[in-house]
Amino acid sequence: MALFRVGTKIKVAALVAAVLLHGPLFAAQMESAHDLMSKMAKASRELNYQGLFTYEYRGNLTSVKVAHGVHEGQTYERIQHMDGAQRNELRRTDNVDCLRTGDMLLRGSAYKINDQSYARLEDFYEFHIKGQGRIANRQVVMVHVLPKDKHRYGYVVAIDKQSGLLLQSVLMSHAGKPLERFQFVDITVGGSMADLGFDLDSGSFTDVALDQSNCIDDNRQITTSTSNWSTEWLPPGFVMASHQIADMDGQESMMFTDGLAVFSVFIDVDKQRSLPAIDANLGATVAVLTKADINNQEYAICVVGEIPRATANQIASAISLSSSRLISPSSSISP
Amino acid sequence: MSDHKERLDQSLSALMDGEATDIEMHRLLKEVSEDSELRDKWKRYHMVSSAMKGEAATASIDYSAAISAAIDEEPAHRQSALAVFAGSAGRFAIAASVALVAVFGVQQLNSPLDSPAAVSEFAGVEQVNEENTGPAIQFPSGFQPIINARTVSAGGNNKSSQFVTPVIEVRQQAKRNYSEAQLRAYMNDVMAKHSNHAALNSNQGMLPFARLNETEAAAKKE
Repeated sequence: MALFRVGTKIKVAALVAAVLLHGPLFAAQMESAHDLMSKMAKASRELNYQGLFTYEYRGNLTSVKVAHGVHEGQTYERIQHMDGAQRNELRRTDNVDCLRTGDMLLRGSAYKINDQSYARLEDFYEFHIKGQGRIANRQVVMVHVLPKDKHRYGYVVAIDKQSGLLLQSVLMSHAGKPLERFQFVDITVGGSMADLGFDLDSGSFTDVALDQSNCIDDNRQITTSTSNWSTEWLPPGFVMASHQIADMDGQESMMFTDGLAVFSVFIDVDKQRSLPAIDANLGATVAVLTKADINNQEYAICVVGEIPRATANQIASAISLSSSRLISPSSSISP
Repeated sequence: MSDHKERLDQSLSALMDGEATDIEMHRLLKEVSEDSELRDKWKRYHMVSSAMKGEAATASIDYSAAISAAIDEEPAHRQSALAVFAGSAGRFAIAASVALVAVFGVQQLNSPLDSPAAVSEFAGVEQVNEENTGPAIQFPSGFQPIINARTVSAGGNNKSSQFVTPVIEVRQQAKRNYSEAQLRAYMNDVMAKHSNHAALNSNQGMLPFARLNETEAAAKKE
């Protein structure tokens, strides 16, 4: 009799344990699409890998051989285009620890726009795990990333199960048509700098963005120089990731991201009044150039990015000089 | 007869341009097997087309006779009654699966991002008008008839100039003193800068570098 009661107790305990265990398991599965995305953000910058990928749009296909290595906190990249004109690039990029706005957003942290509002990737995209597959002879998890509004595109991405690297990314239009496809055909993860073929002592590296100004600080914000130009309208969720003040040619640029999509804004002083208003596109990248005439000075404002054309148009038409600077715009814009 | 011939000629040139319909394609394939004159014409069209594209137009070697001779020599498969039955059943199964694929395909079209098959169909960028870009290559995507093939020379490679340069449309034709070269230089410059920005700030890894086209890369080196 006592034995029977013990048996019942064990059964009940097992049931409770099963429910308790199953609950968190289920929850873990639900949030893992986002976990995968943040794992991807980490993997693509911290791992050593080399491989061959293809890039395709509108029936055009190019292939690119890449190597990516991290050594003493710096990132080394070798990019070799396998078709068309000879193009090789050796880059030494910045500090691996430098987190940028895009990383932050993708890693699931909220980015602080101001004291009241935060930008979160989940507010603008839905993530769905769509099963498993095999890409570049590796097991991948397929994730569909659906935009929640018309201001950004969706993605179909394949993330390597083992390493978390992004092995395929297809940019999808709102009609569900692929605009471009990026896909590894072969990849080797790991290996030393020597294995990757990097000669660290060679002086042939191009240093890119070694200034750390656009890294995110402890306050979850980036410090950017203030611009004379303001964006009266931005698609929701996009935040400024970098800002460069007018360079030698008088060109000022800003970059915005929502964590996945990126667009840049270029503002030129058009002294010769030589540029017309244009619409251009290359693959999935659109460019919208508008003209603004302020205080007898003509400006060319160009929005470039992998975003819908209507959105680019809306951004471009809403860029204006901050009113406080209207008095002498040329003095602060021109070199 | 001449009317029929004229129609065939039209179909043939449509095929060369990659614009032939399935019916035209079927008719051509049927006719070309019997009509040596038509066959020669097809061959000539290809030679002209490759000459126009600057490919070396060597005296064409006709493999077709040798290939059909080789096929004739192959022993025919003997069909057992079971094989005949299996064959017709197989045909039915294919027809059924085509129907299934068609239904599946329609469903996929309705739910844009849920369709993995759509990945292989690069139909084009929505904002681009067709004149500028030429035909996009259609990848076989399951629910399209396999016969939707093109002749080799019409693969659109002669229209791939957009591959190296952005498609640029001037919105207002104002009286401005811009030159196209200047415009292209500007566009290439901003697109290259954007790609560099994106490489640092997005999480797409190496992808932004692939977006850089040849002209941009060349401009960057200067």
